[in-house]
Amino acid sequence: MGAPPVLRPGSARLARAALRLYPPAWRARYGAEVLALLDDTGGGVPAALGLAWRALPAWIWPPRQLHDQDARMRASLGTVLLSGAMLAGVDLVFAQLTQFQGFRAHGSPVVIGSYAIFDAAMAVCALAAAGGGLPLWLVMLRRARREHRARETAYLMLPVVAPAAYLATVAAVARVLGGPDGVSAGVFFAVTLLGFGAAAAACAGPVLAMRRLRPRGPAVQLAVRAAGVATAAIVVAAAASATALTGLCLWARGFAGYHSGAVLSGYLAVVAGLAMTATVSARRGSRAARSR
Amino acid sequence: MTSRLDRWADPPLLVLASLADEPKHGYAITQDVAESMGVTLGAGTLYAVISRLEAQGLIEPLDAVDRRRPYRITAAGAEALAQQSSRMSSVASLAQARLRSRLGTAGA
Repeated sequence: MGAPPVLRPGSARLARAALRLYPPAWRARYGAEVLALLDDTGGGVPAALGLAWRALPAWIWPPRQLHDQDARMRASLGTVLLSGAMLAGVDLVFAQLTQFQGFRAHGSPVVIGSYAIFDAAMAVCALAAAGGGLPLWLVMLRRARREHRARETAYLMLPVVAPAAYLATVAAVARVLGGPDGVSAGVFFAVTLLGFGAAAAACAGPVLAMRRLRPRGPAVQLAVRAAGVATAAIVVAAAASATALTGLCLWARGFAGYHSGAVLSGYLAVVAGLAMTATVSARRGSRAARSR
Repeated sequence: MTSRLDRWADPPLLVLASLADEPKHGYAITQDVAESMGVTLGAGTLYAVISRLEAQGLIEPLDAVDRRRPYRITAAGAEALAQQSSRMSSVASLAQARLRSRLGTAGA
């Protein structure tokens, strides 16, 4: 075999940048071989672009032999939890700007029905998250306390502390800055951003605790099954909110004139992206749980 | 000559066929596929295929030598390749017979 190590520095940088797009487990297993192959073939921009393009399926359908099934389940739980919380936040803003302001498209059963389906789906999502997540949370909390792990205990308390602190802040803001017509748009925006921050912190706590405590066993499997149910509810809620939004644009003149198309399109894109992320991750987690 | 049907070539099948005689590493596979089958496999495509075939137990990795890891076809891989080759052979025979018949009809 000839030995032409002809990967130029620029091509090598491109190839390494393309490799960084791959999942860490994939990179650890095949990265050196891919670079060796590019060394042998000369690489170049087309090769790096081809490599980068193939990173997408590596994330969507990760090779099963590369993953620790328990780690897969824990990653899936974290992703579904974060996606669900962000979707709930986005949809709460949606609800605030539609249902609570009276945009109901009178006479449109599609919009009214979509609101009802959305509310029911979010309730199912919350119940599934609580029913499946609580046992795992308790298992981790007991272990963290038994082993005197202060940091993990603090992480696990975040789902309680962050929402409580947020609600207290909102109540204080409403009392100090609220008027007869509520708060100004700027304050509403700030409170909304703070809400997303609190939701992210509440979810990040258990995710960080899971990464450090590495729980296994029936509690994780139950949580993964519950995440599957929650994800199905997330997808239904996302479809219902998209349907309601489309209906409002078609049949509620006040709504369509009040909101810009770019914001609504952005909202739909975020909802679809979160629902898709949760679905892909829940599917992987369920597959890992079944293979245990 | 590059066929217009090359883009329909099945990369997993090409890799299995390349490994049918002896273990090869990534570069040797791309060279073999290009020379004997006329299809260029990029690094991204090749390693996407390798990871799939490995997950399905159709090939297995051997010890790496200087970053280059050879792969060997497994018994399950050989069986899958034999089945697929047989099916393709039947399709090729059928296509050739029908093309002959068509050309014969046209020439008559």
